[in-house]
Amino acid sequence: MDMVGEANDTTLESTGRRRFLKAAGVGSAVGLVGIPGLGAAQDGEFPSGDIEMICPWAAGGGTDRTARQLASLAGEQSDASFFVTNQTGGSGSAGFRAAANAEPNGQTVGVLTVEICTISHLGIANITPDAFAPVMQYNFDPASLTVPEDAPYGTIEEFVSYAEENPGEVRISNSGIGAIWHLSAAQMAQATGIEVEHVGYDGGAPATQAVVNGEVEATTASPAEVAPQVQDGPLQMLAVFGEERSDLFPDVPTLQERDIDVTIGAWRGLGVPEGTPDERVQALNETFQSVYESDEFQSFMEDNGFGLVNRSPEEYGEFMSSELDRFEGIVDELDIQEGS
Amino acid sequence: MSAIGNLAQGAALVFQPFALALIVGGVLIGMTMGSLPGMTATMTVAVLVSFTFGMSPAEGMMLLLGIYGGALYAGSIPAILIRTPGTPSAAATVFDGFPLAERGLAGRAIAVATVASFVGGATSVVLLAVLAPQIANVAIEFGSAEYFALAVFGLTIIASVSGDSLVKGLISGLLGMLLATVGLDPVLAYPRFSFGVEALSSGIQFIAVMIGLFGIAEGLLRYQRGIGSEQVTQELSNVIPSRADLAKIRNVTVGSSVAGAFIGAIPGAGGDIASFVTYNEAKRWVEGAASSFGDGDIRGVAAAEAGNNASTGGALIPTLTLGIPGDSVTAILIGALMVHGIRPGPGLFQDEPALVYAIFVGFFTVYVVILVFGLLGARYWAQLIDFPGTYLWPAIFVLSIVGAFALRGNVLDVWVALGAGVLGYAMRVEDYPLAPMVLGLILGPIAEVNLRRSLQLSGGSLEIFYAEPLTLGILVLAAISLLLPFVQAWRGSESA
Repeated sequence: MDMVGEANDTTLESTGRRRFLKAAGVGSAVGLVGIPGLGAAQDGEFPSGDIEMICPWAAGGGTDRTARQLASLAGEQSDASFFVTNQTGGSGSAGFRAAANAEPNGQTVGVLTVEICTISHLGIANITPDAFAPVMQYNFDPASLTVPEDAPYGTIEEFVSYAEENPGEVRISNSGIGAIWHLSAAQMAQATGIEVEHVGYDGGAPATQAVVNGEVEATTASPAEVAPQVQDGPLQMLAVFGEERSDLFPDVPTLQERDIDVTIGAWRGLGVPEGTPDERVQALNETFQSVYESDEFQSFMEDNGFGLVNRSPEEYGEFMSSELDRFEGIVDELDIQEGS
Repeated sequence: MSAIGNLAQGAALVFQPFALALIVGGVLIGMTMGSLPGMTATMTVAVLVSFTFGMSPAEGMMLLLGIYGGALYAGSIPAILIRTPGTPSAAATVFDGFPLAERGLAGRAIAVATVASFVGGATSVVLLAVLAPQIANVAIEFGSAEYFALAVFGLTIIASVSGDSLVKGLISGLLGMLLATVGLDPVLAYPRFSFGVEALSSGIQFIAVMIGLFGIAEGLLRYQRGIGSEQVTQELSNVIPSRADLAKIRNVTVGSSVAGAFIGAIPGAGGDIASFVTYNEAKRWVEGAASSFGDGDIRGVAAAEAGNNASTGGALIPTLTLGIPGDSVTAILIGALMVHGIRPGPGLFQDEPALVYAIFVGFFTVYVVILVFGLLGARYWAQLIDFPGTYLWPAIFVLSIVGAFALRGNVLDVWVALGAGVLGYAMRVEDYPLAPMVLGLILGPIAEVNLRRSLQLSGGSLEIFYAEPLTLGILVLAAISLLLPFVQAWRGSESA
């Protein structure tokens, strides 16, 4: 079973039974069709030729939709033709590995998600950001803590002291054991010293449902995922785990504002196989950077509730190695990588 | 605004040339993809969703709903013709659909499937329009304990789809549950039966198993018996259902439609579970069905098809009213609406009444279009299997392999399909029923993860399974379902 679901997947439950039914690599069929034209760049300016973007999550999910948007805008901005294939499975490892093992010539780009920094610690697959040369980061979505409106706590401080007084009584649902929202809740609990029970579900939707119907006391997810239930429904959001407040909920404080030093969430970026020539990495970065800055991309991300955060190749590389270290600590303390 | 006013506004959005063309186009695309084993409704919707970004929200929904309904309906066509369900939801259609085709009645089976799909889909849309908030309130109460109870109830169906030998049925069902345990365990992420192979850690793909178990195994069996030796010429006079057929399927279709819509409304329970439950309940309640179901009874086809298409309208209930998707397709529909800044959820009915009613009207129209195309096309599909077997079966083998690979772009799935083909062939030869295996594959993981999660939530206490009337009620139903055949047999012997 895919334990680690796609982070911040607002549209598609990522794990569980329906993984059987859910969208999967028709993009790969498209990729097959594309093979005849595939090949190294022609003479002249790179990027050119066919550039494959390997998405490690299913078609129709959040990562897939952002990748397809990047591909179509990048195609308009350059002579190259960008296309997305979905190679899913193994909590993202299948797609990461396919991208890492591609020829390091810039014609294959991997869509990298936060799982590249967690699955090695979880014992799911032995692949890390070291297999990639970073191109850029284009998204970050913080975690958030959401509880029922009629709960006996209305602020994050009250939540923490309730959990202190009732150790082990507070159950927090997440989209899957080992998934980013589970690790986010775990880090919040570790930082505040509270003892909570983490309950994994088959994706974001059932995890949200569990707090709506009272099966658990709280849930961690991206603000966009729980927005309908908070805006018009029975839930309230106590805190977001980002550096800044969420545009969707400007009244909800960050953990840092309340003296809890935690920032954590899901992110997405691009990378090419380690060993790709620097000038090609730079050329890809320039192409995607101008896509990132375009009005069309910005409004696509905002409309869909995806947070915009941008890092250069160097910054993204440093960020990923700090994330890799950070998650090692969280997973060690959680002791969930029993399978490794 | 009144419901009538909203309905008129919604209809005005649907009955436009472009919107209607999108419905027709969506149904045709959905029917094409749904009839190819390995191509699911979810997959098709996911790939085409980006085309809707440039349309108005209502127009985009028309295309996607057309695909959704069309694909779920068309999964029945290969189920009837070549014993391979085009989508997981059509697995139960195989049981009576294929025996009909073997007798040269494929056209009749497709016609019945079409009518049942129409009635199921249309009924569920009406229920959606009239009762959505009430049904959603029940559906949201489904917690881990209720899902476990539902899965147990579903597993009791093994008893009635096992055919002559209950022992062989149980072996088959347990084998399915065993296969479904491959991969990381759902609670501790411990790899089971993955033998250190990374690709196996994400488990066995259900569709790949179905392709092998039904499509490839059937092909192998044909070769063993001698290809072409059983060529049946399809009767094409009955591609419009007769009055007698309609009367025969009337009750079972209506009952399955209502039941299918309710099951579809439970988040996480889609067309696959709905069709199995309605098929089984029909077998239990319909007169004479216990002996004739499985041998090519049109009522079996009707029950399964009404059930799976009714789940579509049902799945829209929590999607639109709660913002919680009822199945994987509706999850993508939420994404498609969010692109336009519309968030399905409790506020949707107030904020976007015209769109909501356009979805009701449009989805109903989708099913009318399916009825028309299904009945027009039945003749041609049925002729497809008159194609000489020496060409047909190799083509099906190739399609099966391509379909398995297309699932995720993963070669492992091809091996799984081939392995399942050999397994399915061996089981057919030894007379093991395949249906229990399908049930085990679908329901085993649901039962396991929800049992373990329930016990985690309750701190290990079994009270969670009888504290709530809903859970207890479903478990009691499961017990009755299991014991009923014995009671009936006992009473039968009393009176005899």
